[in-house]
Formats: sequence, C-alpha cells, structure tokens
Amino acid sequence: MIRDRLYHDLTNRGITGWIVAALLVWFYIALYFTENLTPVAQTFGLSSKWDLYGVLYTVAVVTGGIAVIRKYGHNRYQVVRTSVVMFVQIVFAFSIPMMLKALHQPEYYLSYFWPLKFDYMNPEYLFNQPWPFVVYTLAASLVIVPLLGALLGKRWYCSWVCGCGGLANTMGEPWRHLSDKSSAAWKFEKVSIYSVLGVSLLLTSLLFYSWFTKSKAPEVVQFQTWYGLIVGSILSGAVGTGLYPLGGTRVWCRFFCPMAALLGITQKAGKRFHIRVKEDMCISCGLCSKYCEMGIDVRAYAQRNESFTRASCVGCGICSEVCPRGVLRLENQSELVQIRSGR
Amino acid sequence: MHLVIVGNGVAGVTAAMAVRAADPRAEITIVSGESEFFFSRTALMYAFMDVMQRRDLEPYERKLFREQRLTLRQDWAVDLDAGARELRLAGGATLRYDKLLLATGSRGRRAPWERPLDGVVRFVSLQDLDACERLTPGTRRAVVAGGGLIGVELVECLVHHRVPVTFLVREPSYWPAALSPEEGELVAAHIRAQGVDLRLNSEIESMQGEGRVTGVTTKAGEQIPCELVGVTIGVEPNVEWLRAVKTPPALNRGIVTDAAFRTSLPGVFAAGDVAEVEGRIEPLWYAAKRQGQAVAQSILGQSMQYAPPAYYNSAKFFHLEWTCAGETQGPGRFRKLPGREASVRVIERDGIAVGFSMLGTRWNHRVLTRWIEERRRVDEVMGRLSEAQYDVEFGRVAL
Ligand SMILES: Cc1cc2nc3c(=O)[nH]c(=O)nc-3n(C[C@H](O)[C@H](O)[C@H](O)COP(=O)(O)OP(=O)(O)OC[C@H]3O[C@@H](n4cnc5c(N)ncnc54)[C@H](O)[C@@H]3O)c2cc1C
Ligand code: SF4
Ligand code: SF4
Repeated sequence: MIRDRLYHDLTNRGITGWIVAALLVWFYIALYFTENLTPVAQTFGLSSKWDLYGVLYTVAVVTGGIAVIRKYGHNRYQVVRTSVVMFVQIVFAFSIPMMLKALHQPEYYLSYFWPLKFDYMNPEYLFNQPWPFVVYTLAASLVIVPLLGALLGKRWYCSWVCGCGGLANTMGEPWRHLSDKSSAAWKFEKVSIYSVLGVSLLLTSLLFYSWFTKSKAPEVVQFQTWYGLIVGSILSGAVGTGLYPLGGTRVWCRFFCPMAALLGITQKAGKRFHIRVKEDMCISCGLCSKYCEMGIDVRAYAQRNESFTRASCVGCGICSEVCPRGVLRLENQSELVQIRSGR
Repeated sequence: MHLVIVGNGVAGVTAAMAVRAADPRAEITIVSGESEFFFSRTALMYAFMDVMQRRDLEPYERKLFREQRLTLRQDWAVDLDAGARELRLAGGATLRYDKLLLATGSRGRRAPWERPLDGVVRFVSLQDLDACERLTPGTRRAVVAGGGLIGVELVECLVHHRVPVTFLVREPSYWPAALSPEEGELVAAHIRAQGVDLRLNSEIESMQGEGRVTGVTTKAGEQIPCELVGVTIGVEPNVEWLRAVKTPPALNRGIVTDAAFRTSLPGVFAAGDVAEVEGRIEPLWYAAKRQGQAVAQSILGQSMQYAPPAYYNSAKFFHLEWTCAGETQGPGRFRKLPGREASVRVIERDGIAVGFSMLGTRWNHRVLTRWIEERRRVDEVMGRLSEAQYDVEFGRVAL
C-alpha cells in the first residue's frame, strides 16, 4: 500500500514529484551554467561534464528502455521501437562521438539533424567540416528527414531515433500521462511550436546571409547566443526534461521543438501516416487520451469514429497499446478512403 | 421547447447533443443524481486501479456543456406527473417539461443472500467506486460473486491492489452466455494465472457479520472469511424509482417503448440501458450511444424506426482481449492458436458463418459483421480470417 501511494505521489505531481523535478532542473542548471559537474566527471575518469551527461543519458535510456520492453513485451511494435531507440542512443549518440573524440576527431552526432541540432546548418561551422559530413548533413536535413516524415510520419524520427524522444519514451514512461489534454493547451502548442520554428528558420537565414556577404552583424551574433541559451539550454534541457514529473515527458517536443514542427507539417502533408479508428467500438474510457504523451485528446476522435492524423502525434503507439477495446491502429497508407469503408 | 433528460449517461448526453445540433433554440436540462458531469461508466475500473483520476473519466471538456447550453442539475428525480408535465426532484424543485427523456440506465442486481452489511459492494456507480476505494485497505480477502464482465473487472482491480480474491462463478464453465467451454477454460486458466482463486460451480448461500461483513458460506457449505463481498450478478434496468411516481410509464423489465422510443406517456421517451425497445434491452455502451442518437430524432418529431445492427461486443479478461460478432452460441469451428493464449471460433449454421468469437488477439469487428451480413460460407471465411485481423504493426499473429 505504501509503495503504491509513493508511486502515485511521484507520478501524479505529489511532493516527491516536485522534489524530483526540482532536482532535475537543478542538475540542468548546474550542467549548462556552471562547472560544478566537471570535477564529478573527472573522478569517473571522464574528460568533461558533457561526457558525464552522455553516460548518464545513455544509462537512463537503456535502463528505462529495458523496463518499457518488460512492461509492453506483448506488443511487438513497442519492443521493436524501443530496441531501435536504445540502439541509436548507444551507437550514434554515445559510442561513435566518444570514439571520434578519443581519436581527436570532431564529435559528430549522426542521429541529430538541423533544426534540432541547430549548429549543423550554420554555414560557418558546416562548411569547415570534412565533405562527407557536409553531404550527410545536407542530405539528411533537407531531403531524408522530410521525405521519411511524409512516408512514415514524424514517428520515424521522434519516437524511433531522436534522443529527446528516446529519453521521454524510456526513463520518462512513468510520467507520460501528465501531458495537458485541454483544448487550451492545444491552442498554445500551435502558437508556441510554430513560433520557435519561425525563429529558427529566421536565424538560419540570417547566418547564411552573413556567410554569403561575409559580414556578420553583432545583432546576429547576439541573436545566435540568445537562441542557444533559450531554446538549446532552457527549453530543451531544463524545461523539457527537468519538468517530466510536472508537465509530462514531451513538453519540449510538443511545444518548442522546431524539428517536430517541421516533421509535423510533412506528416500532415504526406497524408499517409494516420491512426485508424475501428468503427463504433470505442467505450470512451479515455485511457488513450490519458496516456498520450503529446496531450492529444485521442478519445475525442475515437468516440466519433474519426481516423485522424495530428501534426503533433509522434506515433509512439501507446494509445493503441492501452486501448482495452483495440480500437486504435497506427498505419501508413495513402488511401484514407479505404479506412472509411471499414476495410 | 424545454427538453428535460433524466440521466447524464451516454444515452442522455448523446441525445442532448444531437437535439442541440438540430435545434439551437431548445432549452435542455439534464438531471442526474450520481454526478454533475457525464463520465464513462466503462472506465470505473481504471479509476479504481489508479491509472486514471476521476476527472479523466469525463469524455468531454466541461466547458462544452456551457458552450452547448446544456443545463446540468445534480439531483435525483423522484416524482413524475405526466398530466401536468412536471418532474419533481429530491431537492424539492419541480421542472416543467415539454418533452421528457428517461435515460436512467442500469443498476446492479440484488442477490437473495445479500444482507445490508458494510463491505458489500457492487461495481456500477461512482458511489460504488467510492465504497470500493474506502474498503480496500482494510480487506484481507475479498469474495466476488458472479462471473460476468463486470465481475472480472472488479476482480482485476482488487488483484491490482494485491488483495487476495476468491471468485465464485455459478456456472460449470466460465461465462457460458458467450464463451464456448474451450474458451471458458482458456479464460479461467488466464484468470487463475493472475493469482485468483477462481471457483466454478460455486454460489453463495449466506453471509456472516455484524456491521461489517466477516465471511460467506457457499452452497457447498464452505465458509470463506472475507471483509469485502462484490456482488456482480448482472444488471437490470433502473426503473424502481418509477414504480412509486404519480403517473408511471408502462414498465416490464425496463421502460416499455415502441421502435421510436415513445413510452406509454405523452411526450415521454426512454433510451439506453433502461429502455425495453419492442421487448429488447441492450445493456451496452455502443447501444446506449446509438439509442441516444436515434431518440433525438424522435424527440425532434421526425419519424424513425430503430433497428439495431448486427450484434458485436468486445471485452478484456485481465490481459486477454476478446471480440465477438453475430451469434456466440451453437456449433462452430474452434481453433486454438499455437504457442499463445489465443483462439478463434466461427459459429456456423448450414455451412454459413453466423458468428465469431475471438480471444487473445485484435480483430476488426466490421469485417466480421460484414461477412455475416453477406452470408459467407464458413470454409471461405476460415481461409480469409487474416483480412479481419487488427493487430499492431509488426505484431500480426499467425493463425
Ligand atoms: C463497470 C462497468 C463496465 C462496463 N463496461 C462496458 C463495456 O466495456 N462495454 C459496453 O458496451 N458496456 C459496458 N458497460 C455498460 C455501459 O456502461 C452501459 O450500457 C451504459 O453506461 C448505459 O448508458 P445509459 O446512458 O443508458 O445509462 P447510465 O450510464 O447508467 O446513466 C444513467 C444515469 O442516470 C442517473 N439516474 C438514474 N436514476 C435517476 C433518477 N431517479 N434521477 C436522476 N438521475 C438518475 C444515474 O445516476 C446515471 O448517471 C459497463 C458497465 C459497468 C457498470
Ligand atoms: S496519438 Fe497515440 S501514437 Fe500519437 S503521440 Fe499520442 S499516444 Fe502516441
Ligand atoms: S482507449 Fe480505446 S476505448 Fe478507450 S477512449 Fe480510447 S479509443 Fe476509446
């Protein structure tokens, strides 16, 4: 009974939830704005606080991932997806950069792309890298990411590859239901996420302009610093991950991530990925909405027999997993007509 | 027009919204005793298991009722005067109506051996949920009597809270109303594997205790000490309150209506679990919702004849999902799927498929009901079953 109550408290914004949130935010502030973690890293034989962060992050994704696979072991989609997320984290987001560093090469994170990894599309940086990386980055950011987004939905990145999503869907699992389902939150989301996208596109254009004209105005430099501080450190780190126990696991992904915004647009435009609703079978229990980490009111669609594609849906598949009547099914299919006819 | 609706369940609220959509000027009042806002009765178990909070059970945002101008009153209707077109509430108010919809749902059936002791619960209303939550911490063993769909949900909740449960089922196999003996065996084994002391062929004879229940005695004479007894022996239309009113509508098992949901009283309609529509009661969420849509037409004065579509249902026994379509009883072909807790059964008559009962995997009931309507042959359907599968991606089960 005590164990249940503690778990409830931790996962429903009780005192322990607030304490964990405070500790996480404190950790991110220490990480981004101080050098307090450097000696800690060194005692573990790591060269910098960022290496320490990489180790912790990977451990969190792997242990959380194992727990998730045990929990949803009967669901092949969840097992495959979670295994891929863990693999990408271990190999592309941890081992390869660490090896490159050990070989005194620049650390490339090959599973992160612009506009999430903002610097990769900064011409000053990009065009000083070896050509295979330049080609990889340009092809991935400008062609592969949107193309796969249109064909498979944004899920191919947001819940199969991305480290932010990876952490949310592994270690963050116990808090996924805390996302705000209100229509007011949806309104806010539409304004906030496209604003960040607009700002990041503007900044990228300014950087290219400065690079072409070979003159960088001090305002652009300042703009760049502020963007890094607010979007990179505060929103994606402290708010995005620190507030898991208060706002759910995808605060960053849902409200701020420019990559998610772009992918959401391609997901809608591609008209292939959708969540199919089995006709007249929904009992309006609300488990799907409750456990949707993106705060989508899935029940609202299910109870009116409406198959749907929402720009924010990351295709995690948990709504389908928790539905006790098997109403929901994630699909890639171009002909929505087929769905309507019940085939 | 002032439409008064008694009962804010899915039938009442669906009807209210449908009337509002067609008539922006109507005055609509919904009276319900159990809760101020519409909630999903089907999700009671998830609230009990603490995977959802009370507020999460509400299918619509509260502001919707304001936007749609649906006046909500939390009160019990206690008297009905069809001559004066008046409904009296327990709080003392009297509502005048032009049209009245009775959508008072079901209540848990009482058992003959029941005594009014603390610790005896049903699992139908929010108040039942309150009682279950209050009683669970002091319960060392619970007995649940009645192996229907609500019974197994209550058992699952108690197991979730680590309460040892003895589950008494009167029938010789599990839920023979819908499951074949082989399926019953599969489900029974699954329930037992969750640590439940499931006993078939077993019924309560009497109950012991002063104030709080302390135990039950079965018909076989066995005494089982327990602090909680769940009575889940089925539901019945909630019509008791209507027997005492000034002008009761014609009642049989439920409120008797014609195919347009009209009761014997002028301007008074009934829909949902409480309605006996041309002799038929459909105590299901989907049916109540469908009837709510349909009764709205009738209330609005459009002519309509309610014709229920082919039967289907789905449920979950702990982790075992189940889908059925058409008939569930009679001779058929049963196949246990290799290597997993799953089976398919096609019920046949004269070589034609007339029903499906599918355990352990996901199915699209629409494909199954279409095959039934098209009177497909069993041989053909058995070969095409995979077309109706609805498993998650990567998870297609081999048949
Ligand atoms: C635990 C449980 C699980 C279920 N699961 C499923 C499922 O999985 N699938 C399925 O198809 N069906 C399921 N059902 C059945 C389903 O919930 C009902 O068929 C459905 O709720 C009926 O809706 P309704 O609107 O007719 O009545 P109800 O939802 O019962 O609503 C009736 C309302 O009327 C109010 N009322 C009654 N008398 C008065 C009065 N005198 N004055 C004022 N108000 C009054 C009550 O307070 C109640 O709120 C389940 C039922 C239960 C109890
Ligand atoms: S709608 Fe379903 S698949 Fe999409 S994000 Fe929400 S839970 Fe995941
Ligand atoms: S979980 Fe399934 S049954 Fe429950 S509201 Fe969502 S779609 Fe409907």
